[in-house]
Amino acid sequence: MNDAPPSDADRYPLITGRGRAMLKFLREHPAAPIYRNESGNRLTADDLSKVSAFDAEVAAHAPAWSPGIPPDWLADFIASCLRDVPRYRSYGFTSAALEDLPTVSRADLSRDIAEFVPDPVPIDRLIQFSTTGTTGHPLRIGSHPTVAAGYLSFHRRALRHFGIELTAGAGETAVVLVGFQRRCFTYVSVTPQMNEAGLAKINLHPADWRDPGDRARYLDALDPEMYTGDPVSFAELATLPLTTRPRALLSTSMTLLPGLRRQLETHFGCPVIDVYSMNEAGPVAFSDGITWHLLQHRMFVEILDESGNRLPPGHRGEVTLTGGFNPWLPLLRYRTGDHAALIYQDGQPQLTGLSGRPPVRFRSTSGEWLNNIEVTHALGGIAISQWTLHQAADGSLTFHCAGSPDHQALLAALTGLFGQTAAIDIHPGAVFDGKVIQYTSRLDPLSQSS
Amino acid sequence: MTAEGPPLELLLHRLAETPPDFLTAPVIGNTGAVHTAAVVNDLLRMHGAPDIENGIAELTNSQDANRLRLALVLSWLLADETILALHRPPGEVLAAVLTGSAELGGFVQARNAVDNGERREEVVRTTLEKLSLRPLGENESFARDRLTTLSTAERTRVLAASREAEARARAIREALAKKAAEESADKWSRE
Repeated sequence: MNDAPPSDADRYPLITGRGRAMLKFLREHPAAPIYRNESGNRLTADDLSKVSAFDAEVAAHAPAWSPGIPPDWLADFIASCLRDVPRYRSYGFTSAALEDLPTVSRADLSRDIAEFVPDPVPIDRLIQFSTTGTTGHPLRIGSHPTVAAGYLSFHRRALRHFGIELTAGAGETAVVLVGFQRRCFTYVSVTPQMNEAGLAKINLHPADWRDPGDRARYLDALDPEMYTGDPVSFAELATLPLTTRPRALLSTSMTLLPGLRRQLETHFGCPVIDVYSMNEAGPVAFSDGITWHLLQHRMFVEILDESGNRLPPGHRGEVTLTGGFNPWLPLLRYRTGDHAALIYQDGQPQLTGLSGRPPVRFRSTSGEWLNNIEVTHALGGIAISQWTLHQAADGSLTFHCAGSPDHQALLAALTGLFGQTAAIDIHPGAVFDGKVIQYTSRLDPLSQSS
Repeated sequence: MTAEGPPLELLLHRLAETPPDFLTAPVIGNTGAVHTAAVVNDLLRMHGAPDIENGIAELTNSQDANRLRLALVLSWLLADETILALHRPPGEVLAAVLTGSAELGGFVQARNAVDNGERREEVVRTTLEKLSLRPLGENESFARDRLTTLSTAERTRVLAASREAEARARAIREALAKKAAEESADKWSRE
């Protein structure tokens, strides 16, 4: 293991003159932001051929299984986990039906991730992705440059659903990852599988720019084929006087309400694709606005109740994952903490009613219990990027949200749900830094109260 | 090992033909299919137990899947008619299941107790030893030496594997700790 900080040769092993020119352009443009960090693709020639093969495999295979008929790869995957992964080997089985195996939680991964790394995989080029999440279990995930590069294959699958094939190549900017927070990891890179097209990870927060007006000037100069980000950073992006337009926006990390999605689609004139993604599993599904289409052809999804029993199609419970594309972290019944129902449409498994974290119950003035997903639905038509709702022990509600959405529309949505006499305090202009616990209630004993 | 028990070969053969039901996942919490305590209770009834033995609760409360599966395998072994014919007190039979499964659990995978020739012999000899028995036709010192040889070799192998596993886990932890957050590799989106 090399203790020296990575060099450009480590970060971009395959870089050519074109790639260097792209990095120079991204870093040294007169309107460029203050790039605070460095990173790279780290792909070797051997890696690149594996990434290309994986891309073709993803394009050729859709996730497919039927109720009661698991996918054909599952039994071998379970057997390899039970044989090669120290944690799973400790179960004492050499083969087993999936439903007979214990589940694994984020807390288990957080306790000792090394137990989940299979014996046969080399660790000399291990990389890591850290995440704090909102559950109090910080995670350090073992991964590899080919796994990181594999994200693009799933993005392409999602984009294809909307009729988009990425075409950026040499001398062009393929993607800009936009953040909008006080502190953000920022850097530039090139993507070898797209002929060294540029990649920039930037922070739209004015503190990262010499002049806030540079933001639009820089992004127009880059003219990226696609932006990825979250509802908060996209809401900020939409305030910039850009003259260029991307072919797609890809949103992760936070709930994207239909109202904001429509507003962004109108503003940018392109699809805005909501992707359900997590460090532990990568991109799992994307939304077509109605249901969530699964992305990974070697990922099996179960929906479990609180006791770990598998629920039938159409019943909402915890999304539990088996499989994945990270050989350094094979998942065997990983309980994500997110909730949804599994349905089958045209023979394909899909998710509906997806929401992060366990459900929180709120009480309306009539005494009716409401699931938090009903709140999300009620807010669906309003263009807000981030919000929290808390119910106090006396039933009163406090709503904080970013930006300045239509107060009357918000109040109407919430009173429509909770009752005309509900005590609701609305606080626009809230500043959030990163992910938040969106729903809390003193009335629901299962809820984490703020 | 003061008394002679059944012939070794006969018990090895029985173990090799353990029905799949005895290797099914034991119930732990909400998972698994076979209630180990119920199976052991059936065994004790075959040995003449009039009531449920108190010690059986140890199996109901155990979270150790391999130990429970070994208890199932030992139950199959101890239900052989040559052992039933010895009329051992049910309490002794239960103690043999409990101590045998606990002792073997850290070193022998239940599946290997059936599939692997050496482990089969270790399991049979250990179980007999728990009942103070030795295989028919063997003297006490031979029986003891043979059991020691089998179990020492396995423990040495398992301990070496365990040290190797710990060294790898340490290397993984160190490798992950060395990598600065996000100074990793390009992903086109972040979570």
